[in-house]
Amino acid sequence: MLKPKQMSRLLIAASRDQMAPVIAELYRHNLFHIEDYVDAGAEGYEGFKIGSPLSGASEKSADLIKIRAISNAIAVHADDVDAAPSCSRDELQTKIERELPLLEREVEELMVKRSKLETRVKELEQKIAEITPFADIPVDLNLYHGYKRFTTIAGYVSREVTLNVPHEMHLSKGKEKNFLVVIFPTEQKSEVDKALAEAGFQPVPVPEESGSARGRIEFYSGETAALNKEIQEISKQLEDTKQKNAAFLVSCEELLKAEVDQTEAPLRFATTKQTFVAEGWVPTDKVAAITNSLVYMTDGKVFVTVVPTDIEHDSVPVEYNNPDFAKPTQVLLDVYSRPKYTELDPTLMISIVFPLFFGLILGDVGYGLILLVMAYGLRKFLKGDDGRMLLDVLRNASISSIIFGIIFSEFLGFAIPGWKPILYSRHLMSEHGGHGPNIPELMVVSVWIGIIHLTLGRILGIINHAQQDHGHHRTLAILANFGWIAVMWGILIAIWSTVAMPLMPDLTGLPAVVSLLNVGHLIGGVLLIAGLLFIARESVLEVIELPSIISHVLSYSRLVAVGLSSVAIAMVVNFLSITMFIEPQLENLSVVGVVIILFGIVVFVLGHALNTALGILGGGLHSIRLHYVEFFTKFYKGGGKKYIPFGMKRRFTEE
Amino acid sequence: MAAEVVAALDVGMTVEQIKATQIGMKALGAGIAVGLTGIGAGVAEMAIGSAAVGATAENKDMFGLALLFTVIPETIVIFGLVVALLLLFV
Repeated sequence: MLKPKQMSRLLIAASRDQMAPVIAELYRHNLFHIEDYVDAGAEGYEGFKIGSPLSGASEKSADLIKIRAISNAIAVHADDVDAAPSCSRDELQTKIERELPLLEREVEELMVKRSKLETRVKELEQKIAEITPFADIPVDLNLYHGYKRFTTIAGYVSREVTLNVPHEMHLSKGKEKNFLVVIFPTEQKSEVDKALAEAGFQPVPVPEESGSARGRIEFYSGETAALNKEIQEISKQLEDTKQKNAAFLVSCEELLKAEVDQTEAPLRFATTKQTFVAEGWVPTDKVAAITNSLVYMTDGKVFVTVVPTDIEHDSVPVEYNNPDFAKPTQVLLDVYSRPKYTELDPTLMISIVFPLFFGLILGDVGYGLILLVMAYGLRKFLKGDDGRMLLDVLRNASISSIIFGIIFSEFLGFAIPGWKPILYSRHLMSEHGGHGPNIPELMVVSVWIGIIHLTLGRILGIINHAQQDHGHHRTLAILANFGWIAVMWGILIAIWSTVAMPLMPDLTGLPAVVSLLNVGHLIGGVLLIAGLLFIARESVLEVIELPSIISHVLSYSRLVAVGLSSVAIAMVVNFLSITMFIEPQLENLSVVGVVIILFGIVVFVLGHALNTALGILGGGLHSIRLHYVEFFTKFYKGGGKKYIPFGMKRRFTEE
Repeated sequence: MAAEVVAALDVGMTVEQIKATQIGMKALGAGIAVGLTGIGAGVAEMAIGSAAVGATAENKDMFGLALLFTVIPETIVIFGLVVALLLLFV
């Protein structure tokens, strides 16, 4: 908790003939994060070379590429396939040998056929587009060409043209431009060109067709329709292939990926002619288990040892270490940046505070229930790990939303009948069963949340610096963080000594020291100046950032402000739909009245749907933003390396 | 009260009229506060947003940081909203 999992650096050395069993065993455990060997002449690695893949690597890679190509072509994704009853390795192997080439040929043939047809359709559409302008001219298309002494040109002109040479001209007037076909003696081309250029002539090619233009268009349209039908047929066949083979394809891919990963693993090891060395990271509590099983699988012909970790220079991979309820929140932290190995992992705090913030913003039983249903309903469509985790975050947030809805007594913007808000009300209008808003109190509460959250952030900053830094710099950094806390509380005490505010300590009554200044001002001033000195000692430039104390604290007022805006939208929707449309019509029902009532219902549903979407955006984005911008900037750096163990979670195949 | 009556007589309005005007002015002020800060936040987010989309398209890992940069100016409109709420309800 609050710290990433402890890692140990493991060094495995054995003779080359043990490579395959060692790799297989490491892969099965799915715990060993391989540190890639780089041939850079590191100390102790003289004479080592990067290893070469195990036998069969290239065939398996080729098969894997084939399978991925087919999966891509027919759009099969492992995330969309339910974990099927898994088949054994041998079964799949024979299936791959027998069925894969057939399947590949089938899919490829269909794809080629479809793309040929699609090209043909494009050609025909092009032809139709070319002929269309000629449709309004009552001349057969074969009369446009085949002359020795005459030239035909066609195109658009902006106005009518008169030519001084013998010619035949057809003009069809359009809305913006007129379409024109002229046939004239070839020797007078230059005069015609000149006359046409003056009229803003834009030429189009004259189609090499025969028969009437409309007839040709009809003919080609018919052909296109037939081709499109054929394309649909092929797409349907591909869809059928997909349905039939999706499970097979994903399990094949999984199996082959596992095998390719294993056969290519030596590329990440250091090897000599006779031996190999693999280095990597393992969670400290698993070291014994891995060592024992490696020794067991190789009959003791392997040397495994833990190399001491150098926190400063090793880039230790980071694996979260959180209780189950906090695990989904890791996705929010990964979006920002994974913590460094030496850093505090704030996931646990976010997993508690984020839902609280979300509930404060969207505290409404109705919306909470809608989101809860969504969090469970969307599970059918989101099958990836990240998607699931996000949905879990949404579920936690919506539960908090429901709880705060009860506290605020809100249901889709209405007051819950017979239930008064506990503590504070957010209902903006009192005549509709609301109780009038307690906005000043809510604002002060949100500011308090800000003060506490930021102080916590700075305290975490002190802890981080104490753990990561050394010597003089460590002292300065710790004192600077302390300085920030002192300045914030100094300002607060000074404000409390000046004005009395609801829900805040009133220090205005303290004994006066000099004229208008009392003891509170004095303490506040001392804290502020001391804090300033501490900050300036670490870095003078940081002093410019001082106003951020006030803006960051006030930024937490969004917890109330965004929440109230969502309440306001809900109330407006309710007022529009119920008070304006539905209620007046219910008093004396008529046919028109029923229509208006239906309209009112549509407004109600659409309005609340919109507000739910805004609620997710507002509640989610603003809560996470308060963490990312206001909270994290106080202590969190991130940039840790992700722990990617060698192995895979098998979903479709067996070991 | 006496001062209010004098003021009312000065501008030729009743006390009720003056109170109504004050409520109206508050509402106007609240509207202006939210509207102008909204425009301000929009202008600020415009450039950041387009750059953030570009950066994310280049490198998906940037998404978190890009989102963070994009929402920084949101504070402006939140302040406007806070001021409006304080004007209307305090």
